[in-house]
Amino acid sequence: MKIVSEKISFKDSLALQSGDVLSGFELMTETYGELNSDKTNAVLVCHAFSGNHHAAGIKDGEKKPGWWDEIIGDGKTIDTKKFFVVSLNNLGGCHGSSGPTSVAVHSGQPYGASFPEVSVRDWVETQKLLADHFGIDCWEMVAGGSLGGMQALQWAVSYPSRIKKAAIIAASSKISTQNIALNEVAREIIKKDESFHNGDYLAKGESPKKGLKAARMLGHITYLSESNMSKRFGRKLQDPENKMDADVNYEVENYLQYKGEQFAKTFDANSYILMTKAMDSFDPAKGFDNDLVACLQNAQAKLLIASFDSDWLFPKEYGLDIQMSAIKAGINSTYIELEGDYGHDSFLFHSDRYSAALKNFLNSNE
Amino acid sequence: MNNQLQSIVLDWIPNQSKVVDFGCGDGTLLKILAEKKSAIGYGVEIDGEKINACITNGVSVIQQDIDAGIQNYKDMGFDVAIMASSIQCLRRPKNAMKNILKVANECVITLPNFGNWELRLGLLKGKMPSSAQLPAKWYETKNLHLCTIADFEDLCAEESFNIKKKVYLNSRGSSSWLANTFPNLFAAEAVYLIG
Repeated sequence: MKIVSEKISFKDSLALQSGDVLSGFELMTETYGELNSDKTNAVLVCHAFSGNHHAAGIKDGEKKPGWWDEIIGDGKTIDTKKFFVVSLNNLGGCHGSSGPTSVAVHSGQPYGASFPEVSVRDWVETQKLLADHFGIDCWEMVAGGSLGGMQALQWAVSYPSRIKKAAIIAASSKISTQNIALNEVAREIIKKDESFHNGDYLAKGESPKKGLKAARMLGHITYLSESNMSKRFGRKLQDPENKMDADVNYEVENYLQYKGEQFAKTFDANSYILMTKAMDSFDPAKGFDNDLVACLQNAQAKLLIASFDSDWLFPKEYGLDIQMSAIKAGINSTYIELEGDYGHDSFLFHSDRYSAALKNFLNSNE
Repeated sequence: MNNQLQSIVLDWIPNQSKVVDFGCGDGTLLKILAEKKSAIGYGVEIDGEKINACITNGVSVIQQDIDAGIQNYKDMGFDVAIMASSIQCLRRPKNAMKNILKVANECVITLPNFGNWELRLGLLKGKMPSSAQLPAKWYETKNLHLCTIADFEDLCAEESFNIKKKVYLNSRGSSSWLANTFPNLFAAEAVYLIG
């Protein structure tokens, strides 16, 4: 599989949904496979809340492959022998694209908390500019799970003629009250870390790692299912020789400690807040008098909406809700329910029915 | 669904109808309706493999149990609802009929006729009968509420389900004099347009 990592600069200013304007920005991208001469085999994959541009393959010096490596690759569900797959770190992220850790031209300092608020719609705007950059008129498919699925849905609404298929996986047309509540707890934990300094920690050479770690530990629980955690950890005690923290008793505690710590090393606290805010505010129907049916009426893409049984963060009713609105709007849309062992995170992993559905969808033609 | 049945359904469904097919199988009928009648179609199916076949066929499908799901399709603007060889598989067919008539202005129902002479003969021999329309063994069948043409038409009369059109087909899937004259004995399958 041919992998190309590239940081792409966009010189024109970008007007954001918030009213703020960025005088130019950069997107960190990774592509897999090759674009055909007609530029008709392009697939955009959008990352979830804490994801990044590295969706597939293993990079030099790293042990773990990209976040959707079970799905993207030669001969896999999204077959890179056939499709040209584009992945990017979203605007406001902290893995190479312009975001709170970038240096602002006007001040010469990192943006920090002053990086403007971005929305899912803004991401789609930047991804459209990315499509233009590659000369791609129309994506064969835009796909993503969770917050990534929301981007796929927004694509179908924002640019009807530039997307043929949207795979909206483990997602919803707006997140639940409970989700907003959980996000707020995570933000509160980060903000109350004494190293946060109202978001200007980079200028002080600090980082609210403790807060970020705890926020991630909370988040991580919501990505898994109760049964999956029971199966995986049960009530097994942690090996005393191998503890992250002296107070740890159970394996699950140690696991969360480890995951939280790893995450805090690589993620930026302001990006965390920005991404959760983008998730909270996503609601494409808002511009259509809160009518999702009206919102979907102009969509031309075929939708595939997939939900997982064990997902309690984005329960299947949310997927079905988009489907029923799509039917009312009279657009081409399919809804499937999948078993999925991993709760919300199920979308990341290959399973037979999931992969078959996604593959058949991507390869179907009318 | 055989060709004769397909052409009857195609004939009855107006161009550009919005159609829901309960128990759509692999989506063949909806695909043909989209091609020949420019229909906007949605299938409802519970079986995972059939759903994947629909996806391959480019047919919109919703994974749902028909027994639980019919009432969700009210107010969706459907012109026609189809239930082909499925009504006898439902737990409460009478309720399903009432609900399906709230989903669309008209509905197409097809059902296997348990009164067909071949089946009667099978039963006379003391065994659960089978036929081309009812191939499954008694312990494998999904059919819960098999009925004869006479039974079904009685139900329609009792519940005031208005049968607008009907066609009786013999075991070879064609409309014969015998099947039309003595449907309860000689028809293997019946097709109704109710609304």
